[in-house]
Amino acid sequence: MNWVQLAITVVTVVSILGVVTLVLNMQYGHAGLINFGVVAYFAAGAYTYVLLTQSPPSETSLDQYVIGLNLPPWVGFIGAALAGLVFAAITGWPTLRLRGEYLALTTFAFAEVFHSFTINEQRFANGTRGLVGVPRPYREELSFLDYDLALALAALLFLIIVYIIFERMVRSPYGRALEAMRDDELALITTGKRSSRFRLEVFLFTAPFAALAGAIYVAYTTLVIPDLFTAEVTFVVWIALVLGGEGSNRGALLGITLVVLFEELIRAIPFDTIRAAQIAASLEVAALGVLLIVFLRWQPFASLTKSTRKVARS
Amino acid sequence: MTLLEISDVSKSFGGLKAVNRCAFGVEQGSLMGLIGPNGAGKSTLFNLISGLYEPESGSIRLDDEELVGRRPADIASLGVGRTFQTPRSFPTLSCLENLLASVPSSGEQLVPSIFGTYRAEERTAVKNAREHLKQVGLEARADDRADELSGGELRMLEVARQLIRRPKILLLDEPTAGVTPTLQTHLAETLKGLRDRGLTIIVVEHNLAFLLNLVEHVVVMVHGSVLTQGDPDAIRSDPEVVNAYLGRRGSDA
Repeated sequence: MNWVQLAITVVTVVSILGVVTLVLNMQYGHAGLINFGVVAYFAAGAYTYVLLTQSPPSETSLDQYVIGLNLPPWVGFIGAALAGLVFAAITGWPTLRLRGEYLALTTFAFAEVFHSFTINEQRFANGTRGLVGVPRPYREELSFLDYDLALALAALLFLIIVYIIFERMVRSPYGRALEAMRDDELALITTGKRSSRFRLEVFLFTAPFAALAGAIYVAYTTLVIPDLFTAEVTFVVWIALVLGGEGSNRGALLGITLVVLFEELIRAIPFDTIRAAQIAASLEVAALGVLLIVFLRWQPFASLTKSTRKVARS
Repeated sequence: MTLLEISDVSKSFGGLKAVNRCAFGVEQGSLMGLIGPNGAGKSTLFNLISGLYEPESGSIRLDDEELVGRRPADIASLGVGRTFQTPRSFPTLSCLENLLASVPSSGEQLVPSIFGTYRAEERTAVKNAREHLKQVGLEARADDRADELSGGELRMLEVARQLIRRPKILLLDEPTAGVTPTLQTHLAETLKGLRDRGLTIIVVEHNLAFLLNLVEHVVVMVHGSVLTQGDPDAIRSDPEVVNAYLGRRGSDA
């Protein structure tokens, strides 16, 4: 087992999924908006990045996709963020008045529709075959460094930036208003504040970060296939958030680190037979479930991740 | 001068006319009581004024602004403050934060929140919030979460959350329920003090002893309409009011 490689992988994946967990934490942990379709932002960013940056389809290949704009990577990243914004607007606007489980179901449905679209519409991105061998952005420019390491550092930097932005929001009156809305929306409204504004803003502001994480994810995987963007991503992020303790950005990061570390460690075990690997794969999911129950019951990180707003507690 | 003018307001739930062509005016700077038996439509009327319900007919004007058809948040911003029969708060926030979250702040905009340009404003707001907590006797609980408060304290917190917004009119729905007698006396004094400073207050209250000693004008509602109104002494001795509360005597039936 190559520990350095494992560490690089863990840092990369934790950073990418960490951003998505932070986004979910803003939406659910702070604003109380149950989003079961968070994978859709991630997928929309990944697909948009690829469609914008890949070469146009050639006549001779078996490709069926029709869009390939061959634009530079930075345009792809901006496009990915915009795609997240658009997807948040499409899903956020009609669901503004939905509460609790209704919002959960609707966001889940939107994500499934998008997933289904990527599978069935061959002209979008080759359907289930997806797009493979996506060029890694800024490979030449970063040639002085091991690319995997460079990507891990870039992803980590992105995570840190998002963490700082979100943490500042959370500690400000903005975060206080979101939590007030989460606690009692009617009580907030009767103090003269339009909660619909906060709901929409949270969706629109946070989604682009998850979409950007999706674009960075493509640089890591070098492929986009519908199988990478199933509801499982949503649930992994949810489990991470619940493990770490919703409502705390530190907790969110702790949770996703645990989950990714756990998954990557099991993946790194050299199995002798395919059968053993299959058993390990099933056990991994089961163990994750047990872990979740244990954490829910005893909340070992409760004191560690408790968030405080210094401004108001001074 | 009439601050709040309710004219011919009706609201039904299915076949039940909860508020039926209700009409009365509230003078600027008055401390008014709204009484009536259970189901008379008092809370429904509060919900109509604050925009949580929309009336089928009629008009509700505050300072010559029509409130009907506006969103609840906008009605609140226009100067209507209200409390609920079951007090509402932000349970996971501290008492201080409950008050801070109830006033507008530039830090509630995205960009200022990230760049921290609200800090000076926030310091003033914290000071102001502490004074309002003191006004309702909760200064010692400033840093405690709202879900740690007793029922009576929660009610006082809700009143403070509205007072800090400086509304033109304050609608209090049963402010004494669950509040200790000492705090009740304190509350009555606070309300009188606020009235003296120009705040208009309507109190819905089942505790008539408390109410009739507090207010200077009483509106009695029965079956969704105004039965009668007048000063507390007149109401106390009005046989119609007694009938409405206790039911008619056998000989009248």
